[in-house]
Amino acid sequence: MIELLKKIEWCPGCGNFGILRAFNTTVEKLTDSGIERGKIMVVAGIGCHGKLPDYVELPSFHTIHGRVLPALTGIKLANPDLFPVGFSGDGDAMNEGLEHLLHSAKRNTDVTLFMHNNGVFGLTTGQFTATTPKGVKTRTTPYGNPEEPLNPSLIALVSGATFVARAYAGDMKQLSEIMYEAITHKGFSFVEILQPCVSFNNTWDYYRKNVKKIKTAKDFDDALRISMDKLNTGIIYRMNRETFEEAMMRTK
Amino acid sequence: MDLNICISGAAGDGVKEAGELCGRLFAELGYNVFIYQEYQSIIRGGHNASVIRISDKKVHSHRRYYDLLICLEDYIYEIHSPYLKGDVIFDSKFSCDGFGIPMTEIVKEEHEPLIFRNAASIGALSAYFGIDFDTVEVMFRERFGEKAAGDIIIAKNAYEYYMRNYSPKMEVKRNGPKKKLVSGAVAIADGMIKAGLEYYYAYPMTPASPVLHYLVRKRGVVAYQPESEISAIAMTIGSAIAGKRSATGTSGGGFALMCESIGLAGIAEIPILIIEAQRSGPSTGIATYNGQEDLDFVLYPSHGEFPLIAASPYCIEDGFRMAGELLNLAWRYQTPAILLTDKHIVESMETASIDESSMKKQDIEITKRSEGLVKRYAVTESGVSDYAVPPAIVKFNSNEHDEFGLTTDDAEIRKMMHEKRMKKEKLIERDVADSAHHQFLKGQECIVTWGSTFSAVYEVAEELGYRVVVIRYFRPFIPPELKKAVVVECNYTGQLARMLREKAGVKVKSILKWDGRPFTPEELKERLG
Repeated sequence: MIELLKKIEWCPGCGNFGILRAFNTTVEKLTDSGIERGKIMVVAGIGCHGKLPDYVELPSFHTIHGRVLPALTGIKLANPDLFPVGFSGDGDAMNEGLEHLLHSAKRNTDVTLFMHNNGVFGLTTGQFTATTPKGVKTRTTPYGNPEEPLNPSLIALVSGATFVARAYAGDMKQLSEIMYEAITHKGFSFVEILQPCVSFNNTWDYYRKNVKKIKTAKDFDDALRISMDKLNTGIIYRMNRETFEEAMMRTK
Repeated sequence: MDLNICISGAAGDGVKEAGELCGRLFAELGYNVFIYQEYQSIIRGGHNASVIRISDKKVHSHRRYYDLLICLEDYIYEIHSPYLKGDVIFDSKFSCDGFGIPMTEIVKEEHEPLIFRNAASIGALSAYFGIDFDTVEVMFRERFGEKAAGDIIIAKNAYEYYMRNYSPKMEVKRNGPKKKLVSGAVAIADGMIKAGLEYYYAYPMTPASPVLHYLVRKRGVVAYQPESEISAIAMTIGSAIAGKRSATGTSGGGFALMCESIGLAGIAEIPILIIEAQRSGPSTGIATYNGQEDLDFVLYPSHGEFPLIAASPYCIEDGFRMAGELLNLAWRYQTPAILLTDKHIVESMETASIDESSMKKQDIEITKRSEGLVKRYAVTESGVSDYAVPPAIVKFNSNEHDEFGLTTDDAEIRKMMHEKRMKKEKLIERDVADSAHHQFLKGQECIVTWGSTFSAVYEVAEELGYRVVVIRYFRPFIPPELKKAVVVECNYTGQLARMLREKAGVKVKSILKWDGRPFTPEELKERLG
C-alpha cells in the first residue's frame, strides 16, 4: 500500500524530512501501544508542510490555508475516538487563521497541532511571515522586515494551551518523544517545530549551534519565562483541565 | 374572521413576546395565525412591532392595515397611526383616543418589571375580543409553566379593568382544535434533525441566530458557536469528514466569509448544508430587516466549478421540508447544499401543519474500515463514489487529486476527476426535477415568485385570479414552461426575473421592493394595478 503514496517533493535538505520521519516513528509507537492506525487523522494546511498527508498511510484531510484547527475540532467533536493531528506552517497558523489557535487553546480542544516554523513562506517562494525576524530581507521585504516577529509557543501558552512544546527538526529523537506526548495528552497540544528552509531561510547552522534543551516548567510563570527564549526546546508546559469535548458532551 | 393586530412598543418592552403570546392565544382557540416581527437593531428604546394575523382560513402573511393597535409608548403611536383602521388599546400613562388601560400601574402594583406590560396587553386584548380568561390562563401556563403566575395576575388585572370600564368589541369563539405555532427557524431546524442532523456550528448573525438558539437546547444535536463563520463552516466540514451530518447557518455577511470553504467542500466532495437567511444588504445593510438580494450571490459562491445545490423554501412548512430534503441531497451527492431563506420566514411564526413523519434520513453507504488506502474518489458511471470516513484510511483533499485522494497536477487525471464531480449535476437535476417549482391556483396570467414573497403573492393571486409558480430550486435551475409572467421579489434588480428571461426566454414584468419590508397583500394588489 505504501507504494501508492506520493514521492516526496520537498527540497533536498528540507527540515520537513526530519519532521516526517519523527512523525512516522511516533505513529509506529502509537500503533504499537494499541491505537488503531486509522484513528490517527491528519489534517494539514497550505504550504510545504501541507504535502505531508500525501506521504503518510493515515486518514487525512488537506484543507485550505489557515483552517487546520477548526477542521480538527469538528472531527474530534464528531468522533471522540479519533486522534486528530494537525500540521500547519507559520504562515498557516500565525498569519492566516491565527484566531483559530487562540480559540482552540482557550477551549482546550483535545487535538494536537504541529507548527512547522521556518520563518518564511516557502511554497510561494520566499515572502516574510509573522515569525520572520525584524530586519530580514525577503522577497516582499527587500529593505528588511519592518515588523517584530510573533512567538508562537508564547501565544499558545497565554491562550490556555494545556500542552506547549518547542522542538527542532534536526533532533528527531527529542521531536518524536514530544510528538508522542503531545498526541497522547488529553487537551490542546501545541508543538512549535523550529525548521530550516534550505531554499529561503537556511537556519541549519544557526539552530545546530544555538538550540537549547530545557526541563518542563514548574509553573505557569516559569513556562512564560522559558517560552520567551525562542531557542529553548523541550516540553515547556503541561497541565490538565476539562477538555472542550468533555464539557460539550456533559450537557448532551 | 380575518383580523390583523399590531402590538408595538420600544425595544425592551417585550413586544416580540407579546406578539407570540397573542398568536398562541388564538392558536389555542383553533385559529390560523401568522406573526410578523419587525424590530430595530437596538436592545432598548427604538421601536418594535409584532403584527398578528388571525383567520379562520389558512394565512401565510400579515396585512398592512390594523384592526387593532396595542400601543405601549406615545411616540410609537405616531408611527403606526397611518395603518390603523380600527381601535387602539394603550397604556394610559399617555393619552390617546381609544381604550386606555393603566398598564404601568398594574405592573407596579405587582412589583414586576415594566416588561410585564406585555402580559397586561394580552389581558386587555383578550377582554376586547371577549375571550374567556380561562383560555388566557391555559395559554400562559403552556408558555411559561410554573413561572406563569406573575403574568397571569397582571393579565387578569388588565382584563378585569377593561371589563369594568369598557365592553368587549366581539365575542371570539373556539374555531376548532388547538393549533401549533411554529417559527421558520424551528421548522428548518426540525427538518434538518429529521434528516439526521447531529452537529450544527454557527456564529451569531441576524436573522439566522434563532436556528442556533433552538439547537443549542436540543438534545441529540451538538450545536456550538465558534469564533467566526469561517470556523463554523470549517468545523461543519470536519464533522462531515468524521461521518456525521452537520450544518451551519448565517446571513449574507457571514456567508461571504464561508465562500472559500464551500469550494473546498465541492472539490473534496464533502456533504454539508449551509443555511443563508437573507436580510437587507449589501454589507451590514439593515441588519434586522428583510431582503431577497442574495440569490445571484449564493448560486456561484466560490471560485472554480463544482456541483452545488441551492434552493429556497417558500413558507414555514416548506422550510421544514426543504431543510431535510437538502441535507439528504448533500449526502447522497457528497457536495455542498445551500438553503437560501429570508428574515420573513425565519423569524415569523405560523400555525403551520408540519407532518414530522414525512421527513426521514436517507442513509448512504459509508465505509468505516479499510485495509490500506480507500479509493475515496473512485471514478464511477454516475460520478458518485462511496463515502468513507476514518478509521478507514481515507484521504480528503482540497487539491486536485487522484482516485485515492492523493494530490496531482496530471492533465489526464485532472480532466477525469473534474468531469467525475461535474457529472453529479445531471443526477441532482433529475432528482429534484419534480420539486423544482410548485404551482398553485388556476388563472390565465401567471405570477412567479420565490421565498417568503410567496405569502403575499398567494393571497393576492387567490383574490384576483392569477396562477402562481413558486421557484424552489435555483441550482439546478429547471424553469417552468412559461411565455410570460409577472415576477415578484424583494430586490432592486429582479434577480429571479433575469434568470427566467435569460435561461428560459420568459417575457417578464417585474414587481420589486427593496425597502426591507416584506410585501403585504394590499401593497402587492396596488402594484399589480
